[in-house]
Order: sequence, then C-alpha cells, then structure tokens
Amino acid sequence: MFEMLSFEFIQRALIASVIIGLVCSIIGVFVILRNLTFIGAGTSHAAFAGVTLGYLINYNPLSFAIVFSLLTVWIVGYLNRKGYLKLDASVGIFYSLTMALAVLFIGLMKVYNAEVYGYLFGSILSVTKGDLAIILILGLAVLSLVYLFFKEFHFITFDEEMAQASGIAAGWLSFLLLTMIALTIVISLKSVGAILVFALIVTPAAAAYQLTFSMIRMFLYSAVIGITASVGGVFLSYWLDLPSGATTVLFVSAMFFLSLIFSPKRGYIS
Amino acid sequence: MSNNVIIRFSHATIAYQRRTALTDINLEIFQGEFVGIIGPNGSGKTTMLKSILGLIRPTHGSVQIFDCACHKLRCRHKAKIGYIPQKGQIDPNFPVTVMETVMMGRYSSIGLFRRPSNDDRELVKHALREVEMDGYTDAPLGHLSGGQQQRVLIARALVQQPEVLLMDEPTTGIDTPTQHSIIRLISNLQKNLKLTVLLVTHDINMISPYVDRMALINTQLHAIGAPADVLNEKTLTAIYGKQVVVTTKGGGTYVIVGDYHYV
Repeated sequence: MFEMLSFEFIQRALIASVIIGLVCSIIGVFVILRNLTFIGAGTSHAAFAGVTLGYLINYNPLSFAIVFSLLTVWIVGYLNRKGYLKLDASVGIFYSLTMALAVLFIGLMKVYNAEVYGYLFGSILSVTKGDLAIILILGLAVLSLVYLFFKEFHFITFDEEMAQASGIAAGWLSFLLLTMIALTIVISLKSVGAILVFALIVTPAAAAYQLTFSMIRMFLYSAVIGITASVGGVFLSYWLDLPSGATTVLFVSAMFFLSLIFSPKRGYIS
Repeated sequence: MSNNVIIRFSHATIAYQRRTALTDINLEIFQGEFVGIIGPNGSGKTTMLKSILGLIRPTHGSVQIFDCACHKLRCRHKAKIGYIPQKGQIDPNFPVTVMETVMMGRYSSIGLFRRPSNDDRELVKHALREVEMDGYTDAPLGHLSGGQQQRVLIARALVQQPEVLLMDEPTTGIDTPTQHSIIRLISNLQKNLKLTVLLVTHDINMISPYVDRMALINTQLHAIGAPADVLNEKTLTAIYGKQVVVTTKGGGTYVIVGDYHYV
C-alpha cells in the first residue's frame, strides 16, 4: 500500500503538500477573520496572468506570477485604505482585468502549451526539485513572518483601529499581510492551480472557525485540517487516479461540512 | 487633580478631506481630571479623541499630549493612553476569549518579536479583577452581555497601565442600570488609579454627577467648565437646535432635550 512512498515524485508531492497545506491554512485564518476571502480569488487569477506572460515571452513564469500578484494586492490594499474604492469592488476589477490579460497572453502564444493549463488546475504530482525549493523558501518566509508578528497580526485582525491607537503599525502590517497572502498563492499555484488554491486558503480556516471560540486554537485546527486535506488529497489522487487539485479540494470541503455538523457553535451533535 | 496640563489643543482645526470637523479648538486637560465631552451627532467629539491618539493630524494649530505632538507620539507614549473606542456589534462567533482580548492591551508594551510573559498574564488577571470580570477569563467575548463586553474592553485599556483613558460612548447600547454601573466603575478607577479621563457621551445626565468638567462642542468649543456652569438652557438649546430644559433635583443638574412634534 505504501510502495508509492518509494517514488521520488510522490515524496516531493507529499513534502509540498505539507508545506502548502500548512501555509495556506495559517494565512487562511487571517483571510477569513479579516473578510479578505475575495482577495484570494482575485490574486490567484493575477498570478495566473503572470504565469501566462512568462510562458509567452519565455521567461521564468513564477517570477511574473510574484510580480502580478504583489501588484494586485498592493494596489487593491492602497485603494481600500485611502477610501477610494471598497475592497470587493477593486478586487472585482483586478479579477477580470488579470483574467483578460491571461486570455490575451494565451491567445498570443503561437502553439498550445499544456503546462500553462497545469497552472490553472494544478498538478502536485508534477512538482520538480526546483519547484519544491521555491515552495520551501517562500513557505518558510511566510511562516516566519507569521511567527515574528503573530501578536500584532492577532491584534489588527480583531480591532485594527484600536491596534493603531495603541502604537501598533497597523497600516504597514496590513500591507505585509496582503504580501504574505500573495506569496502563499504563488507557491501553491503549480500544485493546486489558480482556480482551486482559493479553497485551500479559505476552507480549512472556515472549518476551524466552526470548531473554536479561541483564535489561537483556530490556527491550530486550521493547520491540522489543511495538512490532512492536502496530504490526503495526494494519496487519494494516486490511489484513485484522479486529478490531485480537485481531490484535495473535495477532501477539504468534506471536512468543512463535518465541522459544520460537529460545531459547538451550532450544537447539532456536541 | 493637579495643575499639570496633560492634553493641550492650541487653535486646533481638524478636517476630513473637504469637511471641517473641529475649528480653532483651545482646550487644556489637567492631570487626574475627569472630563465629559458632549455635543450633538457630527459635532466632532470622536474626532477630538482620534486627534489625541494621533490618528488624525490637525490642519492648523496643534494637539499635544505629554508635551509631544500627538501625531508624532512614540510607542512608549501611546502605551500610556488607554483607548476604548465606540463599541460596535461584536460577532458572537468571533474566536477570541476574554483573556486574549485583554492581553492585546499589553502588546505594544511587550514590543516586537516578544511573547507575553507570566507578568503580563498577571497584569491581565489583575485588570479583570478591577472590572469584576475575573471569573470569565476563558469565556468567548461574543458570548458576554453588552455591559460585560464593555468591562472587558475597559480591562484591555487598563492593562496598558495608562495615565490617560479616552472613552468613546462607553455606555451605548447598554441598559440603564448597567450604564450607571459602568460609569461608577470608570469614576472609581479614575480616582483610585489617578487617571486622566476624557469620556465622550450623548448621555449628559448620566455623567454630570461624576465629571470634574464638561466640554460642550459642536465643531467649535462652546463651553468648558463644571457641569452646573455648562448645562444652561440657552447654550444647550442653541447647540442642539431643540428646546432644552435644565432642572436641578437632589443637588444634581439634569437636562431634558425636547423633540419636535408635527401635528
């Protein structure tokens, strides 16, 4: 049964799953509690537009994904903070703008490129050593920032104005958080895909939200659900010969519905 | 109350883009004083507090606290200001416990990259005892009543060990007996901890027995002084635009604001 673990591509997929599951689920807690869910969808499409540009001009697609997603979150965050436009409206504009760019770049390609579509739907079993190194470096960077600024993020998530009033650099930290969301999406893009990465960020945290009244425990539960779903998705995908991104999302969605049933906030069962 | 000026507005004018919220305010708040700020909606009461917190800069004049310009305050100064903002509706399912909420008040004192120590946890417990909420440490904040939540938010301000407490309508949305108990609690804390308190409210009658001075504002500072001096019918009628009756009973001054009736 575990002979699959002897394959190098499976080992890489599992390591990538653990890191991506952990990073997405931790960042997801901030996304859920700060009502930034739509920004995840908008940023993943911006990152995909960057990937398509990279393939079009034959230059590292991941670097363009980073640039596109960072520009999107920074501009959206700036417009929102200055009061020029509500967050959902500006994300909506960038969502369609970057998707239009992606379609344009794909249209300008002379030949059909299957790898581009891999970024749309994800394929964790095709993660290379180079991909894994990038996932590891950026993932550790995001987790380190969460660890270093944990109490400050905790405060601005609950009450940003109060945090700012008591001397926390809330504006700066909000932009740092948006940057971390963008990097999390970029590292998950190849494995889970631009369309499904959003689910891996939002769903574990949404499930954890059902299970606890403590923010600290919410991080813990979200991490356990995120890692279980992403690793479980790889196993199911291999055994059942199904697309890995879809399997992972279905797995984590099932966990969300279970959390709804077992939520102490609802009292259906507990 | 001492003669040391803690907060000073000097010809301060504060504007949001094109709307002027406060015009040419001159006001001194002394150490250990309990000051109530009253005025109609949109009169600039909350703006006044936000300018002291350095969240809004004056376009003209200056606002100073501890002899520093408020918008240039360093963290060590900000830690000495406890702020209790207007309490919005707290989502009953938001995952935050009473302990976690009050501990947030320690974060700026703890500093970057450091975790709360046992001393910080003791300070949190002490602050919860001060507001008589020590039995609710692990309770979800959203499960408490409005009055209990307000006590927790006061504890969060106290745990900063502040010298100044700024409160924005702390009794809004709370039943009348609880409003009285909250104001009594604030008054006792102000005396016991020798705090300087600025409290914004619409409820003139609630605070008048407790405050040293009242400031009546409506974009400008219209009156400042002891409640008995500030609460006069002519001034209040002019500010509120409605018939106001001021009466005294049992040594207290009470204000009745009339309403328009269309027959």
